[in-house]
Amino acid sequence: MPSRSPAGMIHQATAGIRRSALRRQLQSVAAGKSTALSIDLDQAGVDVGEAIEEITNRLPMESMPVQRLVFAFKRSGTADRVVERLAAKSPQQRARSARVVGALQLTEAVSWLAALLGSRDRAVSDAAARALGKIGGARSATALVLAIQRRGLNRRLVAELARAAPDLFVEVALTEPQRPAVRPALAIAAGLRRRQTAVGPLIGLLERGSRRERVIGCRALGWIGSRTAIPIITRALGDRDWKIRMSAAKALGALRAQSAKDDLKYLQIDRNARVRKAAAQALYRLRPR
Amino acid sequence: MRPRARPGGWDGPAPGRPVLTAGEHRDAPRRPDRPWPSFHDMVSRLSTLESAAVFFSLPEATLRALARRLRRIKVSAGDMIVFQGEPGDTIFIIERGRCRMVVEKPPSIVTVALLSEGDFFGEGATLLNRPQQASVYAQTDCYLLALDRQALHTTMAGREHPALDELRQVADQRFRAFADTSVQATWGLLLQEATVVGVYSPKGGSGGTCISLNLVGALARRYPGEVLLLDLDFPYSHSALLAGLVPTSCLARMSSVPQGSFEEVLLSAVLYHPTGPMILPGALRPEEADEITPELITKAISVLRKSFSYIVVDLGVTITDSTLALFDLTQHVVVVTAPELSAVKSAADAIDILVQLGTPHDRLSVVLNNRSFKPAVTKSAVERSLKRDIDVQIQFDGSRPEQAAVDGVILSITNPRSEIAKGCEALAALLDSKHGRQRGPEPAAAPAGGESVLAGVGEAD
Repeated sequence: MPSRSPAGMIHQATAGIRRSALRRQLQSVAAGKSTALSIDLDQAGVDVGEAIEEITNRLPMESMPVQRLVFAFKRSGTADRVVERLAAKSPQQRARSARVVGALQLTEAVSWLAALLGSRDRAVSDAAARALGKIGGARSATALVLAIQRRGLNRRLVAELARAAPDLFVEVALTEPQRPAVRPALAIAAGLRRRQTAVGPLIGLLERGSRRERVIGCRALGWIGSRTAIPIITRALGDRDWKIRMSAAKALGALRAQSAKDDLKYLQIDRNARVRKAAAQALYRLRPR
Repeated sequence: MRPRARPGGWDGPAPGRPVLTAGEHRDAPRRPDRPWPSFHDMVSRLSTLESAAVFFSLPEATLRALARRLRRIKVSAGDMIVFQGEPGDTIFIIERGRCRMVVEKPPSIVTVALLSEGDFFGEGATLLNRPQQASVYAQTDCYLLALDRQALHTTMAGREHPALDELRQVADQRFRAFADTSVQATWGLLLQEATVVGVYSPKGGSGGTCISLNLVGALARRYPGEVLLLDLDFPYSHSALLAGLVPTSCLARMSSVPQGSFEEVLLSAVLYHPTGPMILPGALRPEEADEITPELITKAISVLRKSFSYIVVDLGVTITDSTLALFDLTQHVVVVTAPELSAVKSAADAIDILVQLGTPHDRLSVVLNNRSFKPAVTKSAVERSLKRDIDVQIQFDGSRPEQAAVDGVILSITNPRSEIAKGCEALAALLDSKHGRQRGPEPAAAPAGGESVLAGVGEAD
């Protein structure tokens, strides 16, 4: 809540001025008007990572604004300081540094970010995961998979894995032997990436995977929108496990699979209420528009 | 499983960076991100990189750095590696095996390149941030070396060698070349040209001619007057006889026809069946089969494609130069096999050859024609031998096909309840779902959408 005392208001105004100065400085560097950069990472009320993200958001690492910023950060020694602070005692400093590293997409810092994924402080581990997601590449994705191995299925890790994984990384990992928590995480990541190349491995998972893997496999195929998978998902409607039936019904609804309409109607008298509800929702999505 | 606790806790300093805090000893990373490539692995990676024209001129140190960051991926034959229209961030270099690059504009599909060892792809999406322009399938089992964007930029950024610019130039050139090909791929669609379907039966007596004739009948119900059967089952072409027609001319006799009147003479040789389908015999006498050359076939198909919606070609048993020329012109190949040991073996070999010739898996259908009431080889055994699913199974139909030949009728038109008619209807629906969507309104006999078409195929099983 903003402070209403005079001192608090002055403090806020000072922080605003500092933020504005930092933003101008970064914009000038990104636009190529200046190469000099002087940043105090410990300024109160100023989040350097946020300011960089405003400029580099959604820009690829090879784009000129990002390259100029990285060059200026490295030349001024700020990049080294940021990486060093990834090992600072204060969790806030580590989280902020992770954010800066992610915004600048510094691939050199992947090993240090990977170590932070195991931090007990949620803010630190989440910031590290986000940074790895932004940096991307096989090394970042491997670090995230290792973290999932250690910590189990974690929403943030899976989302960032989907973002970081390069082409065919998830697909290949799905076909390799994995620890129990990893394959479901990979299946979710494959679904979130919405790549057709993952359809084959996901169908394989649906045919041979464990109960949990099949549940997630169905949903992932639905997210991808793979119409070739409709027959196999329709078969899953008759599975003994209610979660698989429910997941298959949801996937068929997402796929708008008219061919499965009769099977979904039959599922409306399923003994499980949640399956019945999923079937009804799927049929609602199949209605003519 | 409980996660193992790290000695010193996860909140401790990051490993492997001695400069972080003076006077404090830090351990090396507990587990490397990826296993370091062995000496022999590095030699193999370097030789593959050097065989790629763009990387050939790179300095040794850059090549080694790149080689260390490569991921090795094994892809099975038929698997999709890159999908047209999707984003991409990885350059794939083929270490072993062959891949096929296709530009797809339904219903056309154009092979843009056949790639082998040392070739690379995916550079357009990686370097130009554009969607993939073509799909890439593994034609054989492949080993690929994958170089992702991050690894590429980490290695190349800041180096003086212009390899990255050269790569961008190559990517840009390819992008423009494929854009032209992609436009060409739509020509057939814009001109509403015919879809050419080859029916190949590698073992005599499997029912290839019967299925071709009934397939034409089933398609003619959907597109009356727009479906042609070209009979290239040499040396004895009997499709016209089975349909109760008497041919007076054939394709072989067109070899001596002057260019100016070729189209007119060719179309005048087409026989009209009273129920709708049309038949063009390849040769009337066995010795005329020698007159059929790949050039003549290409010329004839280019003329016929303008006049019909579907051209079904009965390819018979043998693979000749003419057959190979026709495989290049077909949009779909149907392999017919019977549940007999020799027929299944021949079909498996034929499918291998077709795949090697570059036929994509989704443009290849297998029909299992049961010629006896209780076949000796089961459907699942056939699927195991062929290493793929049977798309359409035709149940034993008693003496109906023979009787239909004697009567000169096409079962798929006169008796839709016969097994041959049901199977050919399912096959026609399958072909229509893949090639016939954008040909105007569907006739009443055709199923409403792709889903029901596929369901029909499933029911035939």
